[in-house]
Amino acid sequence: MKIGIPRSLLYYYYYPLWRVFFEELGAEVVLSSHSAKGILAAGLKNAVDEVCLPVKMFYGHVLDLVGKADMIFLPRIVSVEKREYICPKFLGLPDMIRCLKNLPPLIEVDINLYKNNKDFYSAVKNIGNIFTKNHLDIWGACLKALKAQKKYFKLMQMGLMPSEALALIEGRVEDKSLPDGEKMNIALLGHPYNIYDPYISMDIINRFRAMGAVVATAEHVSGKIVRNYAARLPKKLFWSLGNRMIGAAFHYLEQPGISGMVHVAAFGCGPDSMTGGIIERYAHSSGIPFLNLTLDEHTGEAGVMTRLEAFLDMVRWRKAAFGS
Amino acid sequence: MKGYIGIDVGSVSINIIFIDDGGVVADAIYLRTQGQPIAMVQKGLKELSGRLPAGSKVRGVGATGSGRNLAGIIVGADAVKNEITAHAIATSQVVPGVQTILEIGGQDSKIIILRNGVVTDFAMNTVCAAGTGSFLDQQAARLNISIDQFGEIALQSGSSVRIAGRCAVFAESDMIHKQQMGCGLPDILAGLCEALVRNYLNNVGKGKEILAPVVFQGGVAANVGMIRAFEQALGLPIKVPPYYNVMGAVGAALLARETAAKKGYSLFKGFGISDMEYKTGSFECPGCSNLCEVIQVTEDGRIIARWGDRCGKWSNALREEKIS
Repeated sequence: MKIGIPRSLLYYYYYPLWRVFFEELGAEVVLSSHSAKGILAAGLKNAVDEVCLPVKMFYGHVLDLVGKADMIFLPRIVSVEKREYICPKFLGLPDMIRCLKNLPPLIEVDINLYKNNKDFYSAVKNIGNIFTKNHLDIWGACLKALKAQKKYFKLMQMGLMPSEALALIEGRVEDKSLPDGEKMNIALLGHPYNIYDPYISMDIINRFRAMGAVVATAEHVSGKIVRNYAARLPKKLFWSLGNRMIGAAFHYLEQPGISGMVHVAAFGCGPDSMTGGIIERYAHSSGIPFLNLTLDEHTGEAGVMTRLEAFLDMVRWRKAAFGS
Repeated sequence: MKGYIGIDVGSVSINIIFIDDGGVVADAIYLRTQGQPIAMVQKGLKELSGRLPAGSKVRGVGATGSGRNLAGIIVGADAVKNEITAHAIATSQVVPGVQTILEIGGQDSKIIILRNGVVTDFAMNTVCAAGTGSFLDQQAARLNISIDQFGEIALQSGSSVRIAGRCAVFAESDMIHKQQMGCGLPDILAGLCEALVRNYLNNVGKGKEILAPVVFQGGVAANVGMIRAFEQALGLPIKVPPYYNVMGAVGAALLARETAAKKGYSLFKGFGISDMEYKTGSFECPGCSNLCEVIQVTEDGRIIARWGDRCGKWSNALREEKIS
């Protein structure tokens, strides 16, 4: 059986987990194509009007899987961290997608770790039951999947981007040494499905690299550091991904090697307008150059390039004038 | 005379200037883009070559503005830089010690904050072009007055009316409403200036510390009504530099001087390019689902540049042809 996974949204976080899990249970995993104009066009045509750009893109990815997969994996992810929620759009995602016509059957299951981690296994068991009734097999697949996930997060904390970590896990590239942090270090914060999707972000990571910057993201910071730093806020944010951005931002603001900070927001994203505003204030008071970049479905790359170039000029100029 | 050329290709105007070795502007040409950037760059250069004293020598060329890459390829530019850096460099030379630059152009507006001669922060307008030059142009045309008189008429106002400046479309309907109520033209124009300033300070200038000396430049700085509205809103004197509408080009020329001094030669193709035939065209690459729009520029039938392809298939092919 072929299980389709859309290459979008939380794919950037949890793909290794689900891939191993499904493969251990004897299924084949197929991914949708890389984000591109055609996929976005299909998403825009079918999505409801009010959702943000990444969700519109997700629609396109689901439609791309039609004809390629026997079932599409579409969990309802409510919470991935104790006493935190994921953005509300993830809660409604299966309901929004279900309205599309001619889709293969969806694997819908609730994942809600708001109270405790035990609820995770019951969700996994429900998915596993599609393939086997043998609890031991499901349990074994789950353990292997968690191990793969741990390795993936670890690679990212060593400074790899998701695509690089996946390439390493799948043996597509040789293990090579990490880029040294001697040059200009830029902290890039934003929802993973925005900054790591080269189409949505207009390839911001590689553009920065081509201009001589080393990019550090929130995923390069361990969960423990993120939690400690995010706890400095007088009141905890509701959203896991927002907390990660805030915690990582506070951490990077204290790192002497970081010369600039960029926050990427999707036009129309409520949580982004909050986290972006908070990060901007803290960055200003610590004197680190800061840029807020808003992305929408506008394909004008000139505007993004102008801002990135000018931002790096500013960082270099300040470094030359005031030292690091 | 020996000197440097700076070219700023914007959405509404093309500015070409010539500075001498000391960085003093010797000549400036301001042309409307009229939707044909290449032809206007050619026309401007022809005009410049006719106006420069005999025996003048071009030692370097710089390009900036949203059309900087196109202009850079056509003339053979030594420096191609974003307009934020170009404006900052030019203004710090013309007004030493400047701390705030307000720049309003055809479709972009920006604010640049400098401290001790170094850019510390900047912002550009996001998705909305309300309050930029093209909107003022359009309104002047609708009211059947020349854009040159706009500011003078606004200054005659005794008590300005309040116009909603959040959005260009609503501002227009608000103006029509005020006209139909019987408000005088000077009061409406003064109200429009105030609305645009309010919008600019709320959007672009949000959260920025605006300190004197404040310099106002870009095409809109010609409008005395806008200058007065800024002075009233900020409570600070506003300086408008002598070449306020070509400051980007001045910055580009200064950057070209720096680059050419480092290299020791210039890539400038000469004034002869005014008589060559340039054509641009685009095609959709069918190679993958990205469906990139590839743009190509030809000089007398020979392809000199291609861009727009994400994978580099077309732009790299050109580079290889050149080498062989």
